[in-house]
Amino acid sequence: MVDGKTQWKGWLYLAPALIMLAIFTFWPIINTLYMAFSNGYTSLGSAGGETYSLGIENFIKVIQYKGFVTCLKNTCLLCIITVPVSTILALLISVALNSIKVLNRALQTIYFLPYVTNSIAIGMVFAMMFNIVGLTPNGDSAITWGIINNIIQLFGGKGINWINAGSNYWANMMVMIIYIVWNALPFKILILLGGLQSINKQYYDAAKIDGASRSRILWRITVPLLSPMIAYVVITGFIGGFKEYTSIVGVFGNTMGPAGNPRVLNTIVGFIYDSLSNNNYGRASAAALILFVIIFIVTMLNMYVSKKKVHY
Amino acid sequence: MDKEENKMTEKVDSENIAPENDSVEIVKIEVSQEELDVKKIKRSQKIGKIAATVGVYIFLIFIAIIVLFPFYWMLNSSLKTIEEYKWTKPSFFPNKLDWANYYEAYKAASLGDLFLHTVYVGLISTVLSLIITVLSAFAFARLDFKGKNAVFAVLLATMMIPGELFTITNYSTIYALGWQNTFSAMIIPFLVSVFYIYLLRQNFLQIPNELYLAAKVDGTSDFKYLLKVMVPLALPTLISITILKMMGAWNTYVWPNLVANDDAHKLITNGLRNAFTAADGTSDYPVQMAAVAIVSAPLFIVFLFLRKYIMKGVSRSGIKG
Amino acid sequence: MKRKSFIGCLVALATLATLSGCNKATTGLTNFVIPEGGYDGSEVTITFYHTMGDTTSAPLRSTLDKYIAEFNKTFPNIHVEHEQIGNYDNVRDKIKEQISVGAQPNMAYSYPDHVALYNKAHAVVTLDQFIDDTKEYETTNAAGEKVKYTFGLTKEQKDDFIKGYYDTGKAYGDDLMYSLPYSKSTEVLYYNKTFFENNKLNVPTTWDEMWTLCARIKEIDPSSTPLGYDSANNWFITMCEQMESPYTSAVGNHFLFNNKKNKDWLIDLKEKYKAGYFTTQGLLGTYTSSIFTETATQDATKSYMSIGSSAGATHQRPEKDAEGNYPFEVGIASIPQINPNKPKVISQGPDICIFKNDNPQKVCASWLFLKYITTCVELQAEFGLVSGYVPVLKSVSDNPVYKAAIEKADGGANIAALSAKVCLEQEEAYYTSPAFVGSSTARDEVGSLLEAVVTEQKTIDEAFADAIDECEYAI
Repeated sequence: MVDGKTQWKGWLYLAPALIMLAIFTFWPIINTLYMAFSNGYTSLGSAGGETYSLGIENFIKVIQYKGFVTCLKNTCLLCIITVPVSTILALLISVALNSIKVLNRALQTIYFLPYVTNSIAIGMVFAMMFNIVGLTPNGDSAITWGIINNIIQLFGGKGINWINAGSNYWANMMVMIIYIVWNALPFKILILLGGLQSINKQYYDAAKIDGASRSRILWRITVPLLSPMIAYVVITGFIGGFKEYTSIVGVFGNTMGPAGNPRVLNTIVGFIYDSLSNNNYGRASAAALILFVIIFIVTMLNMYVSKKKVHY
Repeated sequence: MDKEENKMTEKVDSENIAPENDSVEIVKIEVSQEELDVKKIKRSQKIGKIAATVGVYIFLIFIAIIVLFPFYWMLNSSLKTIEEYKWTKPSFFPNKLDWANYYEAYKAASLGDLFLHTVYVGLISTVLSLIITVLSAFAFARLDFKGKNAVFAVLLATMMIPGELFTITNYSTIYALGWQNTFSAMIIPFLVSVFYIYLLRQNFLQIPNELYLAAKVDGTSDFKYLLKVMVPLALPTLISITILKMMGAWNTYVWPNLVANDDAHKLITNGLRNAFTAADGTSDYPVQMAAVAIVSAPLFIVFLFLRKYIMKGVSRSGIKG
Repeated sequence: MKRKSFIGCLVALATLATLSGCNKATTGLTNFVIPEGGYDGSEVTITFYHTMGDTTSAPLRSTLDKYIAEFNKTFPNIHVEHEQIGNYDNVRDKIKEQISVGAQPNMAYSYPDHVALYNKAHAVVTLDQFIDDTKEYETTNAAGEKVKYTFGLTKEQKDDFIKGYYDTGKAYGDDLMYSLPYSKSTEVLYYNKTFFENNKLNVPTTWDEMWTLCARIKEIDPSSTPLGYDSANNWFITMCEQMESPYTSAVGNHFLFNNKKNKDWLIDLKEKYKAGYFTTQGLLGTYTSSIFTETATQDATKSYMSIGSSAGATHQRPEKDAEGNYPFEVGIASIPQINPNKPKVISQGPDICIFKNDNPQKVCASWLFLKYITTCVELQAEFGLVSGYVPVLKSVSDNPVYKAAIEKADGGANIAALSAKVCLEQEEAYYTSPAFVGSSTARDEVGSLLEAVVTEQKTIDEAFADAIDECEYAI
């Protein structure tokens, strides 16, 4: 089958893509490796004629830095929480959406809207919704509690300091989780809904005949049949989750945390940006390589699990 | 046997009972009792079904409200005066509609030019990108050559590297090529998207191999087959890629701001971004929100009209095949 | 088989890498020396990055264009292309990337920490050789006449700069001048004059008076937060200056703010916060001007004093009521001091620096333009009036247009003029913080540390230790 001619042909078809990738992707990757292993590399210093010795100083600096551990922790937590939550929610929404006829299209359209927006801008809107103005030092009263707290108080709850000075880490996290899930839903719903529509109706008819309950149908038929799509949204969700950054900037601004506690919600990509803005390209590159290794391992794990569990 | 039959009817819809008349008549007395039960169950099933449907709608509409609320808040804020925006108790509807924010955001840059530049960059890069994507996806899906899988794996791995890191090196490259302040600088570095290649490859794989083999027997060349059979079959995916690519051109900011920010090449987000900063260096949020609304509007409209294709295309990227 | 082709790929990539390695931009950042004969009158285009917008209320770019035309009457062949690059950080980020490939503009708005960053690549031209140049040169103006010009600044010109602003250009510890001030702002104390008069309160000049006053206001209006201080960063840094306790240093050990004097001040400040005397933008969750301009009669937390940017005076004015009157009059004063005989107030706002370039004529042309826009009294006066920023020249106050505007100053319609007036009167008080790579991190850290301590998110020692750690990491 593989003769000389098709050999040559395959590479010919790939040539345009490979040439572009070589220049604009592979070369930057190599340069990243170079910067990561050049001790204390800064691009301005380099432009100014400084020279750098090779070594792993950047990695050591990054790993020893307390803030990096925070970034690592936040990134992992956000991933571990938001990916399952958004996947399950998206699954429920898709199944519900698939079961109705009236308003189906309108709702589909609405759910997709967050996909076509700028996450920094909408993050600012979220911040506005959770923001408390003028909370007193003892935390009992405020000038404005924000629309979310207003709703909580309407149901007799107590206002929560979500994102302001003195707020609790988990309250901050909660806001980020809500926002990230909100942001992640459209893509997941789309994929899962597409999958649902392609499931053969006969499976359901058979299930009905067997007298299976709704939840049984969902877990025993829908989920296994959807498993390739679920695996896909979980894997892309993790890859995206490990690159979380702009949503936090949207809510908390460049300080990546509430007033008085900056960077408490910083993530690895946030860390990379910080290093870039200080011109520490060496450290940024080192952090990026660490991130790459993490994503690589997680993706492999995901693939391994889905190979065992996914039904084709 | 009858008992079996009756058990079935409890769960199967009424039409299914009708053909069983023969056997039912023999055990008429017992069955009439059974029939009553069935009716009861059917009624309760119906109520259950209605309740479930109502529940489903409540759930879906609740989610829809949550999804829509931030957009409403964005529009609400974009129409407020800066004074009203700063109110400690936010108003749910602007006291005085301040359309001037939109004018201000619009005026901050000559929107017509920005629009043209963006469409130009979007179109050219989409066309070139489609060509490259189709060729590569075809090679990965249908051609056999040594190292194919290794190359494919390497490409997939590049998707996992944070793109921010490429910026500085690519900027040096663009500069070395003498491309600052050209449209090329905005178009060429992003022509190849591994994601699109992957997406289209999956789509191509779904096209039965028999078609390809048949074409081979007929003596059709690979290229002709690709053009005449595969491209038309994968059209929805190609349309989706087009739309995603245009959306990208519409939203991109960091890179064009770096490589081409003169008036002759400025793109829409770069132009509008300047409206975000007021004279005293602080941000004028209502104007900013107006700018966001202006930038988002065309995307929304495009989405409303091409919803089917976007959705189909994105969902096609599922792992099947 | 598979492995082989993979290795092949790597080899190809490595080759590519070495090829591209040769491509590295060569930087033309050799030291600049004024050429013999100065600017030779040749056609040059200089680029200028700034953050000036062009809105109806503040047409900054149009104002600049008007004076570029004026400048071109003398130097018709110097073409100034200027561009708004978002905000100050955007300007810094863009130039930073450009310097690393040698594509920087000719001049730009700059803050001292930006210049410190650019100087890692030795990209900024020191201005001393221009300022001290005594030669006279000749050029042909737009009318075709020969005219004489100089690079240097005369003693009068140098002395005309407000000293605190001028010194921003040499905050780098090497006594060299890297930038000239262009438009400046500072912090001033806005107070509710109507409230103060009704309750017979005096405007505080020291911090002791300020806290006594806060206690008094709390008695009058228990639900109020008497003072809003917008920027926690500025507060900490200004207090270091006022208390004469170390903050940072441009040379040697950079971060000196972890000391007892500063800690004691913060411990005291925490008590004031608990007593409900003050808030900051971070603590309040919005601009402090929003509670200062609050006019609802009941059920609203108000503040009666607000310390914020002098350039934001119009934001500190309440909205007009239905009859078109301002509900209360705003008074503006200098911020309180520790020692009123040695007042210290912060100096903010952009300087302009010049970048090295392969073409020395461009550098000369940039200097001529920079000298023009920073020393032209009419421009400084008009720009000050349009932008709300403070002019950098003392003699602006004698400019008839400016003078007329300042004379109309009041706490209502002409509040911007009132703010400018207060700023000009305190010209002796401006200080500049040392600038170095990491100085902006220190700025942000001390603000966060203040907010962390008063809200008891961290103990005082923790907060200082964390801030120092963070600063040390940034350099």
